[in-house]
Amino acid sequence: MNRFAKTVSIFMLPIFIMGIFVEFSLRIIPNDYLYKKKYLDKNSENIEVLFLGSSHAYYGINPIYIHENSFNASYISQTLDYDYRIIEKYEGRWERLRYIVIPISYFSLFSKLGETSEAWRIKNYNIYFGLKSSLDISDYFEVLSNKPEINIKRIESFYLLGEENITTSELGWGTNFNSQNGFNDDGEVAAKRHTKNLDGSFFKENINTLQALIKYAGKKGVKIIFYTPPAFHTYVENLDRKKIDQTINTMTQLDEYYQNVVYINFLADDLFTETDFYNADHLNEFGAEKLTRRIGDLLIDSR
Amino acid sequence: MLFNSVDFAIFLPIVFILYWFATGKNLKLQNILLLISSYFFYASWDYRFLFLLIFSTLLDFYTGIRIYIAKTILAKRIWLWLSIGVNLGFLGIFKYYNFFANSFVDGLAHLGMHASPWTLNVILPIGISFYTFHGLSYVIDIYKDKIVPTKNFVEYSVFVSFFPLLVAGPIERATHLLPQVQKERQFEYSKAVDGLRQILWGAFKKIVIADNCAKYVNMVFDNPSDYSGSTLALGALFFAFQIYCDFSGYSDIALGTARLFGIELLQNFAFPYFSRDIAEFWRRWHISLSSWFRDYLYIPLGGSQGNVWLKIRNTFIIFLASGFWHGANWTFIIWGAINSLYFLPLLVLNKNRTNLKIVAQGRYWPSVKEFLAIMATFCMTTFAWIFFRADSISQAKIYLSILFSTSLLTPPKLHGETLATIILVIIFIVIEWSGREQQYAFKRMGFKWPRLLRLVMYYSIILSILYFSGAEQQFIYFQF
Repeated sequence: MNRFAKTVSIFMLPIFIMGIFVEFSLRIIPNDYLYKKKYLDKNSENIEVLFLGSSHAYYGINPIYIHENSFNASYISQTLDYDYRIIEKYEGRWERLRYIVIPISYFSLFSKLGETSEAWRIKNYNIYFGLKSSLDISDYFEVLSNKPEINIKRIESFYLLGEENITTSELGWGTNFNSQNGFNDDGEVAAKRHTKNLDGSFFKENINTLQALIKYAGKKGVKIIFYTPPAFHTYVENLDRKKIDQTINTMTQLDEYYQNVVYINFLADDLFTETDFYNADHLNEFGAEKLTRRIGDLLIDSR
Repeated sequence: MLFNSVDFAIFLPIVFILYWFATGKNLKLQNILLLISSYFFYASWDYRFLFLLIFSTLLDFYTGIRIYIAKTILAKRIWLWLSIGVNLGFLGIFKYYNFFANSFVDGLAHLGMHASPWTLNVILPIGISFYTFHGLSYVIDIYKDKIVPTKNFVEYSVFVSFFPLLVAGPIERATHLLPQVQKERQFEYSKAVDGLRQILWGAFKKIVIADNCAKYVNMVFDNPSDYSGSTLALGALFFAFQIYCDFSGYSDIALGTARLFGIELLQNFAFPYFSRDIAEFWRRWHISLSSWFRDYLYIPLGGSQGNVWLKIRNTFIIFLASGFWHGANWTFIIWGAINSLYFLPLLVLNKNRTNLKIVAQGRYWPSVKEFLAIMATFCMTTFAWIFFRADSISQAKIYLSILFSTSLLTPPKLHGETLATIILVIIFIVIEWSGREQQYAFKRMGFKWPRLLRLVMYYSIILSILYFSGAEQQFIYFQF
């Protein structure tokens, strides 16, 4: 028995050492999550407007167009439960916070990060944001949550090619959905992809999260602005009408019920034209400026 | 908790260490530990169904004793049929109810009558088809006086729920597994090492071969009408390897894991793709299920006794039942029917037991005749797999209509990954062929090599598993 334990331990040792080395190498690569966490650690006391949400906010909200001290803490595939976890993490440190701005996209009320194909991103919140958001041990290690070929590519691009993977501006806006790349009209495909697993099983849970967020904000005297982000007509036309109506009706009801809530729907807003889009459901830098300014005006109106 | 998950990689060493070190090798404590671990393993899928598993275990444990102590044949029969009825009732409700309801309504629609099916919104409890068959074999064997029931509930529960075989088999027999559960187990270094080798080989088959084949298979089966006949042919070929490596990989991990605990499970696969006829294929594919149906359905129906028509009827029944066991879908029934059509000529001509020995035993290469027979059998099974994999009969029809069109003669859609998968499959076939005289292909591979070369082989396999791992892929047979 002892011989077996010894042989297996010696045999597995190089694999473990290699795993630890790769894990360490991956963790020291600078990334957007770590940047945002460090920014919030340092500046959360001074932030007046906090933007949260998924890629629709990450690429669609550039805080330099907001007069108040603001930061975009949204990220790709970030769902409402993670928005709430970020707020909770800095509990007691939001001294000057006046507004929380969250996009309610077509899929927002129906999805949870842990239940999507993007669930591998959970490790970023656990490792870099310091959230303990999962019971799965894989979600606490780089090597266990990504495919090895992706990890190898990351190591190669940072250590051998010297490439930085930071796509975030100083105030948290996503810079890589640029108009120079032209417009990719993937509306039908994107709408189908977003509709695929929209079965309603997380709807109630997400509403509870929203209500908890609203109540939390209410206690602190913080207003919450919810908005449905603009999208290109090819995307809007291919959405499940029932689901989008359910979203709009729910948000309108929350707006009417809670005094500290404002909801606005930009989904088919004429202000946004083809030149404002990077693809059918994401804005480029011009669209981001327009949307951010519109929200800035809304903040002034809702004072 | 999948075998190819990090959770299992943590769970297994913990149970192993507790089993051999913390129990002081006390049989009772070891069995209690195995039972708790198995229930924990099962509950990690969905704890609600644990109650169903415990109920089913209690039922068969109790009815087994009642059958044994019953004074009259009638009383024995009543207890037997109570057990069979409740077990199959659960299986019927959870697995087949919606299928029957929908099929009944479809049938009425063909007759011009319209009705709405009253379906149940239920999830299929994982492993129900496997542990139900465990329990049934136990009570039937007691009824037939083949075994004496155990009065120790923990031992019986370990027989039903032993975690390596709980969710996807092999389907064990009380005559084989229960005595091992009741007997003291000694740690044997060579067996434990052999267990690890089998686990490693199973993981390689699943993660490196099956999951890579799955990418191409999913692509073509999701939208068959988008591809040429040759691409669909390649998709069907990959599926043949996917299903084999997925399921036999699972079985290898199960057998290897059990061996670490000093328990030998039934061999489930014996190189089925080297079979020279379909009868040999069915003696080598999912052996524990085939032999279950043979012993508890085919033989009670009369087996190969009686006239030709009786033999044909019994063969049809067993293949249809086997197909239906796999899932509540007409595709599985058609798959079973096709296999019975392949099998019947051999049965009628009394040639179903011609190829009993391992092909090309003691030789490197098969004869031309053997090679052609292997290829023909493989093509026949691959054709039948199309129905097994298709979501519906209509999808299978579309698949076949494109497959057997002129586009079969055009080059298939290939990309870098596909070529890599083809190379991996070829390497796999070579290893399988070279190890076909063993219990599993990797069993003695590298035994005569220098130590360094053997280490290189082990690390290469581990690194390839790690490289292709990542997003855990479900085992196909978990859905059954």
